[in-house]
Amino acid sequence: MENSQNKKTPLYDTHVALKAKMVPFAGFLMPLYYKSIIEEHINVRNNSGLFDISHMGEIIISGSDAGKFCDRVFTADISKSGPNQIVYSLILNEKGGIIDDVTVFKFSDSEYMAVVNAANTAKDFSWLNFQGSEFAKKGNEVSVKNISDEVGLLSVQGPKTRDIIYSLTGDNPQAGSCGLFSLKQKSKPLGELKHFEFGCVLFRNINVEALISRSGYTGEFGFEIFVPAEKTSILWNYLLKNSALSNLLPVGLGARDTLRFEAALPLYGHELDETINPYDAGLEKYLSAEKDYIGKEALKNIRNKAKRLIFFKLSGKQIPRHMQKILNENLKPIGCIASGTYSPSNKFPIGSAYVSDSSVNPQSLKNFFIDIRGNFEKAEVVSPPFYKIGKKSA
Amino acid sequence: MTSDEKFYFSDSHEWISKRPGGGYDIGISDFAQSELGDIVYITLPETGKTYKKGDKIGEIESVKSVSEIYAPVSLKVLSVNSKLNEASELINSDPYRGGYIATVEPLDAGDINSLMDKNDYESFVASAGPH
Repeated sequence: MENSQNKKTPLYDTHVALKAKMVPFAGFLMPLYYKSIIEEHINVRNNSGLFDISHMGEIIISGSDAGKFCDRVFTADISKSGPNQIVYSLILNEKGGIIDDVTVFKFSDSEYMAVVNAANTAKDFSWLNFQGSEFAKKGNEVSVKNISDEVGLLSVQGPKTRDIIYSLTGDNPQAGSCGLFSLKQKSKPLGELKHFEFGCVLFRNINVEALISRSGYTGEFGFEIFVPAEKTSILWNYLLKNSALSNLLPVGLGARDTLRFEAALPLYGHELDETINPYDAGLEKYLSAEKDYIGKEALKNIRNKAKRLIFFKLSGKQIPRHMQKILNENLKPIGCIASGTYSPSNKFPIGSAYVSDSSVNPQSLKNFFIDIRGNFEKAEVVSPPFYKIGKKSA
Repeated sequence: MTSDEKFYFSDSHEWISKRPGGGYDIGISDFAQSELGDIVYITLPETGKTYKKGDKIGEIESVKSVSEIYAPVSLKVLSVNSKLNEASELINSDPYRGGYIATVEPLDAGDINSLMDKNDYESFVASAGPH
């Protein structure tokens, strides 16, 4: 499976030295786990975990009409947001199918950054770049640049994350300077950043400037930290050297997936893809009613939901997996699994599925069966999330 | 694994070893458990049933993946380690003792001779491993 096609993040050698199990994911060789998915998961819930997410893509959208462009290619209201704020949004194709789900960072009215799924970086960039050139033909000024290879991205997540990050950082005396980025609007002090806001910090002892955002993919308090690629391992090693401040442990993609799924956060390729529209996925609230965006016209014609996302738990021990069939009580197929995993916080298997049989009312569906390699396992529909912040994990 | 115990390994990463009290135990290797990661579920073979060498005798599921377990030799299952039904993580923590899968009677003594001993298995893993 390992081949020369796979890219490496700046931390590849560091992960290998930590004896991580490395696997190909989204075109990168990434750590699946260092010691144990379950231990890493529980440590994020109870303490703090360090993730390398440098595989994710960063696309800069700039120019005097950048705000207008963002409002056209993203479904949420982007230009209206304030500087140093983040907006979660979808990118749709003309048919209303989901090209990607992204976070958009606003630096100023003329500069934005989309943080995109690693598996979609090339696709998103080519889509945005094409839409940018079409937009420019109409006399607008916008440019789209893929800076993913220049950016190292770490995530620190969990209730004790403040203890390590606050201790090791200070305000950057170079106001507005964030390593690769510079802020037009003065950054709030770190301790005052609310969820989905960002600012600048300086990791004092190693003199590394970073852009830091209150964001994450775990359902916990946390930060995502953007640094120049060549500084990534300096920062990673420095955080691990100070791990005692928050019981910080490195966390692989295995626990990143179980954490995001307990928090019921969607994963592109599982809950989302180009055959799924925002209504199917239950993401209507990220569609702006205030403006036109690519895909909006097509969505107007989507009245009957073709599919509906449901969440469930199992009383058995077998884990449901992506694409397995779900069946009604008469064992008639009614849809298929989007995500399935073991929930380390709850100690039972959990999952999500798309019901595609239009005769089934997902609201009244209580139980169904999953064909797990020929065994029909009973599942119970539940309302997400599977984990709420502040609840201690065993 | 202590030096006075003889373990023999299949190339699909199962082991078999003679029990002090009679019969043989089978299980999966330390390498196999570490490749699987956290094990959350196992289907055990059937007591009393006979399996041919290479037959599928069960399934083992970790948080990320599912693997099949094969009979390392032709065998009859004398008893299974039913503790694994509630505590499959024993295979991770103690793959050669507490995490054994079943006690069996080999049906053809020659089968064991065709397996790898510990040294051969370790070089097999080192050469065939993903690293």
